[in-house]
Amino acid sequence: MSTTLEQTALPQSTTRAHVSASQRRRRKKNVKHGVVIALLSGWTVFALAPIVWIFMMSLKTPEDIISNPPKFFFLPTLANYAQVLSGPEFLTPFLNSLIVTLGSLVLTLFIGLPTAYALARFTFKGRESIAFGILSLRFAPELLIILPLYLIFQQSNLNDTYLGLILAYQLVTLPMLVWMLRSFIEDLPPELEEAVAVDGGTRWTAFRHVLFRLIAPGLGASLMLSFIWAWNSYTLPLVLSGRNTQVITTGIQQYISFQSIAWGPMAAATVISLIPGILFALLSLRWVVDGLTAGTVKG
Amino acid sequence: MKNKPHLPYLLALPGIAILVAMLYPFLTGAWWSFNSYRLNRGEPEFNWGQNFVSLFSTGEGLHAIGVTLTYALVVVVAECILGIGLAMLLNYGRYGNTFRLLIVLPLLLPPVIAALMWNVMLTENGVVNWLLESLGGQRLLWLSGPDSALWSVILIDIWIFTPFVILLGQAGLKSIPAELREASAVDGAGPIRNFISVTLPMLMPILVVIITFRGIDSLKMFDIIYTTTQGGPVDATTNLHVLAYLDGIRNLNFGMAMASLIVLWLLCYLISFFLLKARRKEAMA
Repeated sequence: MSTTLEQTALPQSTTRAHVSASQRRRRKKNVKHGVVIALLSGWTVFALAPIVWIFMMSLKTPEDIISNPPKFFFLPTLANYAQVLSGPEFLTPFLNSLIVTLGSLVLTLFIGLPTAYALARFTFKGRESIAFGILSLRFAPELLIILPLYLIFQQSNLNDTYLGLILAYQLVTLPMLVWMLRSFIEDLPPELEEAVAVDGGTRWTAFRHVLFRLIAPGLGASLMLSFIWAWNSYTLPLVLSGRNTQVITTGIQQYISFQSIAWGPMAAATVISLIPGILFALLSLRWVVDGLTAGTVKG
Repeated sequence: MKNKPHLPYLLALPGIAILVAMLYPFLTGAWWSFNSYRLNRGEPEFNWGQNFVSLFSTGEGLHAIGVTLTYALVVVVAECILGIGLAMLLNYGRYGNTFRLLIVLPLLLPPVIAALMWNVMLTENGVVNWLLESLGGQRLLWLSGPDSALWSVILIDIWIFTPFVILLGQAGLKSIPAELREASAVDGAGPIRNFISVTLPMLMPILVVIITFRGIDSLKMFDIIYTTTQGGPVDATTNLHVLAYLDGIRNLNFGMAMASLIVLWLLCYLISFFLLKARRKEAMA
């Protein structure tokens, strides 16, 4: 009786309908699930342990931090956060990072959207060279352009200014935005816009009312991704920013001086700088994967 | 819709402008790589590629090329195996989404900050050494050992960027129709045979994307290395990108710095060229 029940419940298991065989198979499946979960948990521990450790460190007193053996149970304190959030050492770079990152995103949007549209919807001479040229900015070593740019900026007084950094950050934000947007637009049939034209609309109305709405989620994800890349960027500000425009990635190293390392505040600053990335993960991971794999994965 | 012939150029103009604005420093730098150019010793002076000769003939230059290639090769192979393996595990059961959100976190941190976190943990009295000792092992020098430094930065790279392979790999695996795998299983293929003859070929297009991105980004890795070891101890972790920074910003020798960068740039292009070609062949077949 039980065999027939199992057979109807699991239509895949057709042959060898003995009780013992199907039980063995099920047990094997359970073991397999157990192994998979164990392996995944193992990697998860490896992936999370450093983050958890830094988070714990950010809640410790200086004595607890340097204690040997390391302390896993301690009285948490918010002193490090208070110190980080009350002084300019962290807040100024944090603010600078926001200014530079958001500024670059706005500029990238105004440059990238029309460019991506032109590359996706028109055939014109030099189209592929332009597309390839823009994408290749992403694949060149940063210093290849940044080192000469440093001298050019020096002559034009753009070193250590927001404008200079925002211009240079286009190297990070523009190529991927254009690449992703182009494939989003190409995935939509041009008939959509032609229908608007038949009804007497211009290209601009077609773009505004039809295309823009359809690519909006993808655009949002691309902008988020660009935000993360610009926020994480290190080489560019290391060379091009100075005392006035220190950003978070270069600023956080102020906590490490030759005499000593301010472990606690550094850990607190680290934890605060993780927030944008985690927010991003919760909001748009799926869209980003779609964008990066555009054109390679169908279905 | 009427097409005016100049419209696409007009729309792409801002993009072209940025491209030209970036090409100018690139070409200037490329020219400097053929010059003897120290910032503190006046104008650039053409020296017939002497910089490249010394890059390929001195121990320093050859060592940096070796470090660059070792780093990239180890990192790409390790991350592809781990990433695809974990992606398959994540796609296996129903609990994949929960694990994924946690596993992906390292990828979202600024690499500089991730590297700093590891720097803290890998110090002599750090938590990793304590863990090793309490498990009966020996303390290691990690980032401060001449032999272990390169492997330590590779470990950090794997920690940060394996999720990148996982994310793209998962997307690729999901696009493989289940019937294909079932069909080959019915034909008697075991899991290994199934992976080699069904999964791997179907995964090829996305593997090309993964290897291009990870290959190029690991060839030009700077953030992790510079924030943890600054290329040291001595020059154990100095790859071409770090060498160029040390040459250019520390020693003000822009000629040598640009020569290393041009070689690095050529390596990056070689990868994208071969992989794009492979992909085109794939698309034709």
